Amino acid sequence: MRFVPSSLVRGGRFLAALAGLLLLSGCDFNFWRMDGHQSTMTAEGPVARSQLDLFYVTCWVTLVIFILVGGVLAYTMWRFRARTEADERAAPPPQSHGNPLVEIGLIGASVLALVIIAVPTLTAIWYTHDVPEAEKKNAYEVTATGYQWWFKFEYPAEQAAVDAAGAKTPLVTGNELVIPAGRPIRINVRTVDVIHSFWVPKLGGKIDMIPNRANFFWLQADKPGYFWGQCAEYCGDSHAVMRFRVIALDEKDFAAWKEKQLALARSVAAPAAPGAAAPVAALRAFKTNEVGVSAAFDRNPLEAWRARQVVEKDENPALIAQGRELFAAKTCNACHSVRGHGAMGVQGPDLTHFGARTTVGAGLIENNPEQLRRWLRDPESVKPGNKMAKAYRDNKISLSDAEQVALTAYLLSLK
Amino acid sequence: MDTTAKTAYLTKEDAVPAQPKLLAHPTAKTGLMSWLTTVDHKRIGFLYGVFALFFFLVGGVEALLIRAQLMYPNGTVLSAQMYNTMFTMHGTTMIFLAVMPLSAAFFNYIMPLQIGARDVAFPRLNAFSLWTFVAGAIVLNIGWIGPIFGVDGHNAPDAGWYGYSPLTSRQFTPGHSVDYWVMGLQLLGVASIAASLNFIVTIINMRAPGMTMMRLPVFTWMTLVTAFLIVLSFPAITIALVELMMDRNFGTVFFEVSGGGMPILWQHLFWVFGHPEVYILILPAMGIISEILPTFSRKPLFGYPIVVFSGACIGFLGFAVWSHHMFTTGMGTVATAAFALATMAIAVPTGVKIFNWIGTMWGGRLMMRTPMMFALGFVWMFMIGGFSGVMHSAAPADTQQSDSYFVIAHFHYVLIGGSIFALLAGIHYWFPLMFGRKVSEFWGKLSFWIIFVGFNVTFFPMHFLGLNGMPRRTFTYDPNLGWNTANFIASIGAFVLGIGIAVYFAVMIYTYYKGEKVGRDPWDGRTLEWSIPNPPPEYNFRVIPTVHDRDAFWYEKNNREQIAAERAVAEKAEEAHGGIHMPFNSIWPFFASFGLLIVGIGSTAFEAKWDVPGIHWKLGLSLLGGLVTLVGIYFWSLEGNEGYHLHLDKDGKPVKGHGDDHGPAKH
Repeated sequence: MRFVPSSLVRGGRFLAALAGLLLLSGCDFNFWRMDGHQSTMTAEGPVARSQLDLFYVTCWVTLVIFILVGGVLAYTMWRFRARTEADERAAPPPQSHGNPLVEIGLIGASVLALVIIAVPTLTAIWYTHDVPEAEKKNAYEVTATGYQWWFKFEYPAEQAAVDAAGAKTPLVTGNELVIPAGRPIRINVRTVDVIHSFWVPKLGGKIDMIPNRANFFWLQADKPGYFWGQCAEYCGDSHAVMRFRVIALDEKDFAAWKEKQLALARSVAAPAAPGAAAPVAALRAFKTNEVGVSAAFDRNPLEAWRARQVVEKDENPALIAQGRELFAAKTCNACHSVRGHGAMGVQGPDLTHFGARTTVGAGLIENNPEQLRRWLRDPESVKPGNKMAKAYRDNKISLSDAEQVALTAYLLSLK
Repeated sequence: MDTTAKTAYLTKEDAVPAQPKLLAHPTAKTGLMSWLTTVDHKRIGFLYGVFALFFFLVGGVEALLIRAQLMYPNGTVLSAQMYNTMFTMHGTTMIFLAVMPLSAAFFNYIMPLQIGARDVAFPRLNAFSLWTFVAGAIVLNIGWIGPIFGVDGHNAPDAGWYGYSPLTSRQFTPGHSVDYWVMGLQLLGVASIAASLNFIVTIINMRAPGMTMMRLPVFTWMTLVTAFLIVLSFPAITIALVELMMDRNFGTVFFEVSGGGMPILWQHLFWVFGHPEVYILILPAMGIISEILPTFSRKPLFGYPIVVFSGACIGFLGFAVWSHHMFTTGMGTVATAAFALATMAIAVPTGVKIFNWIGTMWGGRLMMRTPMMFALGFVWMFMIGGFSGVMHSAAPADTQQSDSYFVIAHFHYVLIGGSIFALLAGIHYWFPLMFGRKVSEFWGKLSFWIIFVGFNVTFFPMHFLGLNGMPRRTFTYDPNLGWNTANFIASIGAFVLGIGIAVYFAVMIYTYYKGEKVGRDPWDGRTLEWSIPNPPPEYNFRVIPTVHDRDAFWYEKNNREQIAAERAVAEKAEEAHGGIHMPFNSIWPFFASFGLLIVGIGSTAFEAKWDVPGIHWKLGLSLLGGLVTLVGIYFWSLEGNEGYHLHLDKDGKPVKGHGDDHGPAKH
């Protein structure tokens, strides 16, 4: 039995300490920063806040226990280690077998520590389950439905126009859920295919969308804001890029938004004599998985959202008219609805007011002419496995450069 | 030897003549046949270990590919579909093909030695478990061949290791990948249940005289609890898998929404298995730690009865907490509250173990050898993983953490920092017993520190990633979400961890061939396995020991005269009884398992369009495989339970020409 350990043990400790110091000092290594768009540590509504408060309780209780138990463990390792070869060869220490009092005491202490966690846990379970009674009258109801791989949002209380004759249907949007701030939102979650999960970290924890199961939950945004959401249950190929956004607006802005949404799709009159079409340059090539969000957008997404609500400055009515024709000719209308433009498809997101949304492909890339054209040209390269790419393949759809530009112009005109 | 049914009470004088050639017992002691026909628990344990470590490396490579993909935002190392395959196979492989069989390797090898037995209760069933496990592993992984040869629809499973319905239905996952997964897991279940029944019977019936239940080494206790968990929890997933198979192939609607099926049912069935499975992975590890800490503290385990009872308590409670994997499925307030409280409750017996391990070291003399380093690493890492587990029990907070990287951090702290550290400790600890050689302390500790640092650098940042909102099972992420640094660090850590594992195994392989030879009992052990020569002879114990105390071998070392006197008497008695009884080798367990492999591949991989007139591959191969298995079991039962007797000279070598009186077992 040779005595070898200490040099290596010390070396290891030194390395670990060094690594710790490096990690603590270098601001490039700040992996503990938790202020991202999807951070659960910046609660912006009462549901998320109650969950975060509970998290802190569990965090502090376990941290205290860790320091106590870890301290004793560290002391034990230091105090009772064999330091020298003589130590190792010495007769064994007293062969004691345990101490029932100590053990029962420790069990009691653990139970007490757990009670500290259990009480706020129970409170929060009931609080986060449904809109509090007092608030129920004020609650606003929406239905979120998961599709492979996008979200449909339905407003059962809002009747939108379907045609000029005055037929109505509940308002439907896709991938961007606009809600009034400061009001509890009761969300029914549904799915049409596999299990998805609805998660807006800053507003509240997730709730699964399970077939044959009528789940619901609630959340509330303290003030207007733009929030990132993501599907949180593995749902197939494109699960990672099944994202969405929640935009909270104050009552006035929300009412204005709603009014616009309830109307039919915006129509742009075609010019009487369209000029000769200018030659169109091919869109640049994109890398696989290339980022599709600009830094400017990222800095102030709510402003970016507001900017999308107004009509494009350089609108080209001729292109828009051409795009509108293509939307039917290329059978886009088989899957997508554009209320008032004769498109009634329901398998894909409703596009009636698509031009007013900030993202394309379920929260994946920014809704601007370049990114939208990237998506229309080859959806598979942007979002692997998606159903639109399959429809392209099945129906042998391809778009020339000119067609891409025309469709882009049309879709962006749908404010 | 005869082919008629015999009872154990027949003596060799009753034996009827000439046996058909087909049933001649294989006698190879070396070479391939000796391994295929072995019923020796040590050889079977060794094979379990070899296969498990192979798949541990496969799962590790899958993990490194995952980390390579996520090292930078919008990574392009893997396609989305291939990434999904990687995380599915990484999880399935590590759980079913690495950690479980590695635990089984120790159950097989060490447990009989700890209770003073010469083998497990059913040696051939043990061989059957091993080969059925291999068959399951092959079926599970056969889908890798599809992409290599460009056969559409034959890719490896990619629906997640938990296979949530309805993603696994034919509608959403056409092709064969889920079929491989279903059939592979089904075979692994057969193997696990057969092995567990074997261990239960062994531990209850084959303990040496004086080895009462409350004198069992804790590792053996945890083997027993784990075996019960397997026997009781696997039926749940077996049923779920059968239902899924029926849905996919025969038009039933258990989980089929359009037919009124309930996808949520799958989750309950899966987790009612899946949560005990977590304890199936960690209890053996706790058992190993409870052996190593006393040995290297030179002191008995602190509070043995409480450690044992807390282990059993974890086993029971493990069946009452499954829905904490489902806090986001909208269970309602009461169910959520109940499972949250039960989950907190299970923290108590787990905490008790940690307190007792510290109590074991307190007042001891800690010998900082490599196994001890891994064991201490285990205690620290498991503590962190346990605390994040307690955090998950607070259900509302968990709705933010579930399916995020926080969960990934949690269970890797429990499964790598816990299970894997303990299993690596166990390999170091028992290596001298198994192979008579000892790993160099320098290289052992070096690999420990690389693994320890790599592991923490990989998984500690993931806590922050999860709290910062990064979801699991995502092949890509955008750079504007604040996840770049942590992902980069985690990937670097993963490669360091990979290097550490590579060093660990390089050292092991070197030691196997060239390591320093050691004598009997190099660690000054406390339990019976250290009382025999290394490597252990095929018969394990020259004389079945009589046990007088909990740390049986420690007692022996302190009461040599009493033990020597007892041994002499016992040896005479056994010789008078006919010598050491050994079971015959047999090819039939392998044969029966091979039939299951044919069923497994035949029923999943073949397509109707490949049929030629007169041959329906799927049905034909399934029937053929079933027939092979039946034939195997039939001849296996014809062999009866006989064996042969060994007589030893004073060096423990079997006496030639005297040890082959092939006769039925006498008891």
